[in-house]
Amino acid sequence: MRPVDRVLLLLVAPPALVLTAMPARSAQYLSTEEAQRALFADANRFEPVPVALSEGDRDAIAEVSGTRTPLPLGRIWRAMRDDQMLGHLIVDEVYGKHEFITYAAAIDASGAVLGIEIMDYRETHGGQVRESSWREQFRGKRRSDALELDADIVNISGATMSCKHVTEGVRRLLALHDVALKGR
Amino acid sequence: MRWPRALETGIACGIVLACVAIGARRARADENYFGYSYGSETLPKGAFEAYSWMTWRTSKGQGSYNALDLRQEIEYGITDRLQASFYLNERYLSIDGAAPFEEEDGVETPEYPDRNEFEFQGVQASLKYNVLSPYKDPLGFAVYVEPGWSRVFKITGEKQNEWSLEFKGIFQKNFLDDQLIAVLNITPELEVRKFIGGGNKWETELALEATGGLIYRIAPKWFAGVEVRYHSEYPDFVHELTREHWATFVGPVIHYGAEKWWATLTVLPQVYGAPQDDSRSTTLHLEEHEKLEVRLKTGINF
Repeated sequence: MRPVDRVLLLLVAPPALVLTAMPARSAQYLSTEEAQRALFADANRFEPVPVALSEGDRDAIAEVSGTRTPLPLGRIWRAMRDDQMLGHLIVDEVYGKHEFITYAAAIDASGAVLGIEIMDYRETHGGQVRESSWREQFRGKRRSDALELDADIVNISGATMSCKHVTEGVRRLLALHDVALKGR
Repeated sequence: MRWPRALETGIACGIVLACVAIGARRARADENYFGYSYGSETLPKGAFEAYSWMTWRTSKGQGSYNALDLRQEIEYGITDRLQASFYLNERYLSIDGAAPFEEEDGVETPEYPDRNEFEFQGVQASLKYNVLSPYKDPLGFAVYVEPGWSRVFKITGEKQNEWSLEFKGIFQKNFLDDQLIAVLNITPELEVRKFIGGGNKWETELALEATGGLIYRIAPKWFAGVEVRYHSEYPDFVHELTREHWATFVGPVIHYGAEKWWATLTVLPQVYGAPQDDSRSTTLHLEEHEKLEVRLKTGINF
């Protein structure tokens, strides 16, 4: 075997072994239905809410948003208990390091966050954003709040990127709620 | 032809890394987006990462020259801002008629002999401290120090006793929702070496290197970009600071990151260097560098 062949073999062999040994794993923690039940336990039905935004609405949302992922306009539901509206549930995506982080936010009729759930998280690190103690910080937050890391949302060391992007995502959803969902 | 035993050891190292991967339980990473440039992030406290580095250097514009630098690294997060690494290095050199000629007593002889060897090369250790976060601060910044020892000279394969001390200033700036990443490393390195059988003379050298890159997430898990490396050396810098040679490399980099492992491939052709030996190239410095470097890094988190 020529030396250059040996070199090529050495370049290829270890990563090939790793690639075959390490199939990618997805981690979906909650389906949409499970997130709906987790965030609106008293609701007995969820109605899709179609939303169409004007350019002005989009600009107003973009002004407060730090995230560039598409707005989740087709993933908004009204949580109902009989004829009473409990709030809105929105399923959104923000950038993780490699994949998207999918999360759901529940917002009441007055525009306050009732809670968030991480539905899909497939990143190498930063999974601590799933911990309830961190998610609990968003309860009661409104559009008027800063929703900034190290200001009114505590960061988790080693999970900074995920904390930052989820925080920016919730800030955007509060703006979306204020612009398009309040009173609907 | 029988493979050198050390070559088999290199393959075994790769198998060991794969086995470590199979046993991986916890998922954390300080992955490298670039082959030659570091980012300013550090591993979280208590996290481990195993790396495999493979750098293929080839072609000196004369004869045949192939070098494979192998490195295995274990990295540990001491705190969320401070990480330590330990490296084992091996080197495979296949040289056939690539050495420059020097005239001695009217006879031209090659400066170093042909060889076909795979040898244990040396060890290094490093500390990296994250000062500013690329996600929270306007500019990410980390400092890095790496002492090392080497017993095989990188270019010729001559046996030596070399001690080195490398420093890095690591800058990182993220754009576009952290999907576009720019890094810049400034690296001075001090080296003292004595060749085995070369008397008691210790040589000193200062190497100054700047590396940088720009990489963008083109699809989930996939990043692509460009990387640049400038390397220069100042022998006997204690007495006179004169740049003996320099070379600049530019090329593409591609990075793939999965949940528990990642891989980065950089292909760096030399684009310009000096001084030149016109019989080899009129634009490249090929005595202490090669026409092409290819680096593949893989990392496993546990």
